[in-house]
Amino acid sequence: MSEVQANGLTEAETKGRALDLRSLDNPKAMKLYRRFDGIIILVLFMFLVLGVQIQFTLTAGDWDYWIDWRDRRWWPLVAPFSLLLFIAPFTYGIWYRVRLPILATAITTLLCLVSWLSRYLNFYEFTHFPLSFTFPSTYIGLGILLDCALAISRSLIVSTVIGGGLFGALVYPINWSFMAPYKVPVEFNGMLMSVADLMGYQYIRTTTPEYLRIIEESTLRTFGGSVTPLTAVFAGLCGIVIYALFLWVGSWVNGLDKFTKRII
Amino acid sequence: MNRLIAGKTQLRTLLVGLALVLLAGDALAHGERAQLASMRMRTVHWFDTKVEPQNVKVGDIVTVTGKLVTSVWWPKHMPSIAETVYLNIGVPGPTFLRLHSEVNGVPMMRSTAFPLGKVYEYKTVLRARIAGRYHVHPILNVKDAGSLVDKGTWLEVAENDSAAPFVNEVTTLPGDTINLETYGLKGVFTWHLIWIAMGIAYLLYWLIRKELFIPRFIRVRELGQDRANELMTKKDFVVSSLFFTGTLALILGGYFWAEHKYPITIPLQTGLVDVEPIDIPTGGLVVDVDHATYDLAGRSLSMQFTMTNNSDSPLRIAEFLTANIRFLNPEINEGEIYEGEEMVSKDGLTASVDIIQPGQTVEVELVASDALWEQYRMTGLIHDPDSRFAGMIFYYDENGERFFQEVGGAVLPNFF
Repeated sequence: MSEVQANGLTEAETKGRALDLRSLDNPKAMKLYRRFDGIIILVLFMFLVLGVQIQFTLTAGDWDYWIDWRDRRWWPLVAPFSLLLFIAPFTYGIWYRVRLPILATAITTLLCLVSWLSRYLNFYEFTHFPLSFTFPSTYIGLGILLDCALAISRSLIVSTVIGGGLFGALVYPINWSFMAPYKVPVEFNGMLMSVADLMGYQYIRTTTPEYLRIIEESTLRTFGGSVTPLTAVFAGLCGIVIYALFLWVGSWVNGLDKFTKRII
Repeated sequence: MNRLIAGKTQLRTLLVGLALVLLAGDALAHGERAQLASMRMRTVHWFDTKVEPQNVKVGDIVTVTGKLVTSVWWPKHMPSIAETVYLNIGVPGPTFLRLHSEVNGVPMMRSTAFPLGKVYEYKTVLRARIAGRYHVHPILNVKDAGSLVDKGTWLEVAENDSAAPFVNEVTTLPGDTINLETYGLKGVFTWHLIWIAMGIAYLLYWLIRKELFIPRFIRVRELGQDRANELMTKKDFVVSSLFFTGTLALILGGYFWAEHKYPITIPLQTGLVDVEPIDIPTGGLVVDVDHATYDLAGRSLSMQFTMTNNSDSPLRIAEFLTANIRFLNPEINEGEIYEGEEMVSKDGLTASVDIIQPGQTVEVELVASDALWEQYRMTGLIHDPDSRFAGMIFYYDENGERFFQEVGGAVLPNFF
């Protein structure tokens, strides 16, 4: 067994690292690295797109499938919760290892693309739901804000407070630009409904009855009925907590590499 | 040699699997036989279901009407329909548009509650949207209990003569007439494209660079965590700041633009509606269940009753209904069989007493016997956690007026 040096590495490890560093000046090595980087991007993005699709479907599926599920209280809480717990551990790993603030943007963009694919093939082509009823929400801008907060501050703590907070708080505003038309009122059979409610009634879902939706169920009813801003503030706080918590999970998972070294 | 044999076996397995997939037929039912026999017998008794017309074109109207009685023998281990229920329709997705639905005259866009032991008359108006052949069922979604399905009726929907796309127009309260098939999609597509372009631009900035994952990993390892931030350049800072500011501006700009364009919006609407139930028209017949036996080999349910006719008209028992199966008394031709109706045993009911005279109290045995018990998996009755049965008897007075009531009680199996 080699002796450990003052820097905590063995002599062989120190030599290996010096060789790695010198390889960065070697064009042939760099060409090889670029090919490996391409494979890493392919594998990582494939893993992320599958992972986030499954995770988001299981935890926030119906909120993203149907326009008549996206209420002012639950959807702005459920969606960032679900996304941040997936984003945070990967962000920690990639930031710790290579200092690239891209994971939140990558995950939200990939989720958006795969959601559109799913809505078009599964919902529109296969089961005949109109896209106007089943289009996905977007979280890409929130991912960019989270990544940029990290890139600008270079601090996971600052990015948690600013990025995590904005990620939670801005779910409703970022989607309102194209969601507002679906909240226009309609009179139907003597009752007041939004366009989204009416679509949920008319486009039949046999196993998704009306009562399954969680609409306005909470105790956030103070502050003069300002539901949307109040939920945004609460979602922002939740975003900070969830992001911090799962960054910690990421740091814990990241520390498991010591076991892989021993195995090798 | 062994590998060759194993390879051939795998190939055969694959081919058989593929053949099974290719030869598999369509799934055309909605699990009518899948639910526990007790659930079908003791939850909701559907009757008089009519689906009209049964041959339509895309755009045509189809009306589904019928009645149901909520069972007082509702299983105690199952969440009750008296809490929350939604009148639904079992069709393959939005192949139809639901234009209207009501129970006892009350519109049913929202959920409601059905107290037990009452009659509810429902109506659902559909508009055919996608051509095809569909098995249409009325359905009640009961909160925490699942779906309770009436029997289905086959419906043929042909393409209409026009090549124009299907249109579903409504007028909003602000006065705009909109087509829900495509409403709002222009904005959805535009904003999604903007955000996807933003996301890809941001990713490309970070991913198209000379040193990416492996070189940066080497440098971070060399610098250590304390100095690793030196990898972030001034250009990275400036570009990230621009993206941050631009994104924030776009989010807020989009929000206020939408607020300006759609000044009148409301939150999603929800809540329960109340329905006034109808009492069961018993016609003055008092029925006590004395005993019931289910004969497995004979596929028959034998029920002994004591019946007292308190009306001033003689009564004749015409039908026993349970789990959506109708057992008709062939001696009385009063019970109508609707066009396309399934699960009817035309001579499945025998009654030991033909006429119950006014003021008379008699012992009556009803035997509901047919292979439908087996076909619809009702023999599972003997495996239920509380062996009870329930059903409806229908009877007529001398003027042909129909009365009905629910009967139920303990049932004993006869295995031999």
